Amino acid sequence: MPDDYTTLVAALKTLDIPFAENGWTSRPNVNTYGVVQLDFEASALNGDNTKLCSSYEGSVDLFSLSRDGDGMVEAVTEILDEVCGASWSLNSHMWEQATRLFHWEWTFEVDDAVHDEDNGDGGTAADAAGNG
Amino acid sequence: MLQGMAENAPKAAASALYEGAGVMRGEMEKQAKMIRTAPFKYASNGQTRLPSPEEKAVVERGAIGVAKFHKDDDGCDTSVGFSNTGYAMLAGRRVPIPLIANSINSGTSFMQKQPFVRKAKYAGRTKAVDVMKKSITDYLEKNTGGK
Repeated sequence: MPDDYTTLVAALKTLDIPFAENGWTSRPNVNTYGVVQLDFEASALNGDNTKLCSSYEGSVDLFSLSRDGDGMVEAVTEILDEVCGASWSLNSHMWEQATRLFHWEWTFEVDDAVHDEDNGDGGTAADAAGNG
Repeated sequence: MLQGMAENAPKAAASALYEGAGVMRGEMEKQAKMIRTAPFKYASNGQTRLPSPEEKAVVERGAIGVAKFHKDDDGCDTSVGFSNTGYAMLAGRRVPIPLIANSINSGTSFMQKQPFVRKAKYAGRTKAVDVMKKSITDYLEKNTGGK
């Protein structure tokens, strides 16, 4: 699991709303709640028959009965800014007629250097492969 | 010969773009086939559900298309996705097809998300670029005799 993702989940769970990882089986009975999940591997860097680095795309969903998300929209974007830097965006903003919930969906990318051990000259295996 | 190439360049670019868009369309159809389903039930008492096989069938049934090409400053551009028109009858209701696709892709408060469109974008990207490169290379070879 990428470290940045673990940090992101921990930060989102500190907010004053219920935040579930990987979805809810039953919707919480509150005005505002959220979901965070890692969706799929977006790309990978391979070398020497091993996977050196992987990039994962995930999403954060916020559901709220109020148009401003009870102030949680700003809170979530601040956390994304802090943890993911520039690699996130608001993918969609929708309104559900059946439940009258507003739905924000942000997507983000985090990477994970799989073979992050030192290669002997101060850099990681991913650095050696030119991945910075 | 060079003048002829310049005149035909927009045509070659459009042809390459068409092939690239075809790859993305194919990838999106492939990802749509992998959507997980469960028999339809109304999401009562706040419970979440998976898309029904009927909803998946609507998404799969050839609604994915390539939009009409339009010119921009750099050449031409297009989009691949669900048609803005088109409805399906689900549980006795007339529902727009893009709405069903969006509900599955982005999820709702009562349906778990399965981001098949975003997945297709990443999965097809490299192949689409390769196909477009090949199309342009073929055009250049054809017009310069491979030199």
